[in-house]
Amino acid sequence: MTTYKLLVIGLSAGGYPLIKRILQALPKNYPLPVAIVAHLPGGDESNLAQLLDASAQLHVRMATDKQVLARGNVYLAPPGYHLLIEQNGDAPLAFALSVDEPVKSVRPSIDVLFDSAAEALETSLIAVLLSGANSDGAEGMATVKKLGGLGMVLDPRLSEFSTMPEAAIKRVEVDYVVSLDEIISLLLSVDEKS
Amino acid sequence: MLPLRNPQHFGCLLFHVDTMPLIKWKNHQTENIEVSLMLSALQQRYGYDFSGYARASLKRRLMALTQYFEVAHLTELIPAMLYDEAVAQTVINSISVPASEFFRDGAVWKAVREIVLPGLASFPRINIWQSGCGGGEETYTLAILLHEAGLAKRARIYSSDINPAFLDDARAGCWSRRHLDDWRENYRKSGGKQDFEQYFVARDGEICIREELKQSIEFIQHNLVTDQVFKEVQWVVCRNVLIYFGQELQDSVLHLLSRSLERGGYLLLGHAEKIMQLTEHYPDLEELDDQAQLYRKKVCMIRSKVHDHL
Repeated sequence: MTTYKLLVIGLSAGGYPLIKRILQALPKNYPLPVAIVAHLPGGDESNLAQLLDASAQLHVRMATDKQVLARGNVYLAPPGYHLLIEQNGDAPLAFALSVDEPVKSVRPSIDVLFDSAAEALETSLIAVLLSGANSDGAEGMATVKKLGGLGMVLDPRLSEFSTMPEAAIKRVEVDYVVSLDEIISLLLSVDEKS
Repeated sequence: MLPLRNPQHFGCLLFHVDTMPLIKWKNHQTENIEVSLMLSALQQRYGYDFSGYARASLKRRLMALTQYFEVAHLTELIPAMLYDEAVAQTVINSISVPASEFFRDGAVWKAVREIVLPGLASFPRINIWQSGCGGGEETYTLAILLHEAGLAKRARIYSSDINPAFLDDARAGCWSRRHLDDWRENYRKSGGKQDFEQYFVARDGEICIREELKQSIEFIQHNLVTDQVFKEVQWVVCRNVLIYFGQELQDSVLHLLSRSLERGGYLLLGHAEKIMQLTEHYPDLEELDDQAQLYRKKVCMIRSKVHDHL
């Protein structure tokens, strides 16, 4: 059986209430660290960690360069920086930041997080795409699938901003295209298996 | 010499391939080998050592070159890079990144106006080292800040980069007009009260920084990996450079930066460039502003440190 080691989530417009519900549902002892890229309009990202932390059972915070990923934590990409996963030899998984050019006009970019996480974790990765008004995350999801990770996309018919989930589904065949409730129960079932 | 491209000469070689134990490698792992080979070629041929850079973002930047040069594999660029300095320069440019903007992260420069500039005013001479100047946007941000604080005449900015091509751009100090609205907004967020555009003159459809603002600046080539401290300074500005380095290189560069600071001097990093346990590893540094990642080298050496040396 596959053992998952990391959950990555990407969201943009319309994603805030969705990620809030997911994080409310994940228990304190959730076995995977969670890394999130969220681009919200108007630079609202800076308060996002605090807002989510208030209602989540896991500890939500901004990711820091070279920080080692640990279970019990949800890490957010800092506004204006790409967030990447580094896997160097036997060293534990760690975050890296970059201010390289925006990808698909956004920084942080979901593609950048998903690509680097997929290369670092291959089949031990779960990637979730929620909602957004651009196609960020589609390329990243394709990398996740190519390297054997598990991919879930919110059903575009249930999403207010469906461009993002639609682009991903069009780009690559993912494992689940389902409702938020189903995403949540799938993520919780990881807990039971591990 | 054996004409390798002629298939008939492969006959005897092919026979062995069948019996060779080939390990299945995924493409992205093989690409990691390509990255290492590129870095080795760059180092041996041009002396630039990027081996200590953080790998994930470095690889992403290098892989983008395969699209730019329209090659299937990164290693196809090695011969071109070895024999053609223009290709090597393109590769080095893509690795040594970062494009910046004027007054990027307005709130940070607000903290600089409130904390650093009044502090610097108390030093008889003000030397500033800005490491990683890129296209010069941030260098001239410093020049504008000093000008507005009335410190420009007493101050000298040493602005360094590893990449001579970037230094030339920074010296020229001209940019496309299309950035102007963003930069003006950044400037306003930094607490700027002047008309931002007055610091530029229009030239050939571009905006160029006024010559007066260049007076206090010296652009120098400096490699944080191999070069040493070159001057004692009262302020080190090194924003979003350390995140490109791996742990070991980051440590050695932080040592270098902190050694070059006079006591009471300031260190400014990128606003999300929180270095894990920085003040524990560098007890001489105290954090002044977490949001801006602004530090100060303590005026007095702390007691435990003195004992360490006894």
